[in-house]
Amino acid sequence: MTSLKRLRSSSIESDVKSDLETNVAVVTQRPWNVIVWNDPVTPMTVVVVVFKRIFGYSNNKCTHLMLTVHHEGRAVVWSGQRERAESYCVKLQVAGLQATVEQDA
Amino acid sequence: MPGKLFVRRRDGRVEVRLNDAGRGVIREAFAHVVAAERDPEHDWHLSLNAPINPSRDDDDPLSALARQNDIATNAELSIMTLNEQFLNDAEAWAWLSTLQVALRSMAVVNGILSDEKLDSCELELLQEIRTIQQLLFDLAACF
Repeated sequence: MTSLKRLRSSSIESDVKSDLETNVAVVTQRPWNVIVWNDPVTPMTVVVVVFKRIFGYSNNKCTHLMLTVHHEGRAVVWSGQRERAESYCVKLQVAGLQATVEQDA
Repeated sequence: MPGKLFVRRRDGRVEVRLNDAGRGVIREAFAHVVAAERDPEHDWHLSLNAPINPSRDDDDPLSALARQNDIATNAELSIMTLNEQFLNDAEAWAWLSTLQVALRSMAVVNGILSDEKLDSCELELLQEIRTIQQLLFDLAACF
């Protein structure tokens, strides 16, 4: 009986520890955002075409993102793992857009 | 300039309908990008090396190298195909990317970071910017 209690106790402790670890993991794995910034010279059609080519988004989504950049000064165009975010950011910069990455707040 | 400067044909190639003056504008833009990528003293060099992650002191060297390679590859491919009448999809994309890089570099170097600055810049620079914007507008319509 005593040993059973010990087993239960350690099982509960294990669950709690596991939950804590999961929570910690969630906190440290906030997504990375790829941001595209507005600039006064880039034609709107170029922005749409670059989004379509790099991300494969639909025309509507690309146009919506382009308008967000235009009106709000910036738009989050992709979120996820840091390595992929940096890779997308480089592709956008190679295509001549002003882009950066930042971790989600 | 009447008519489109670039036309996507049924076979998938992009036809370039530029005269010598038009190709001259493009040649100059491409040449500046190649020079800026190779020469750290070039005015445009810094604009080609914008931060990827501004929250860090230094960007990941592999990402920076990938960007450098890709910009240089696009610019060199663009120069190699400068006199072609027909471009395949990859070549046309290299033209679009390199022209756009040139346009943004030109704006950054001249401090054109807002609509007001653009409207008040020198006429010659404004005409140069409008010309490249028109080229980009027509080329983007092919994608």
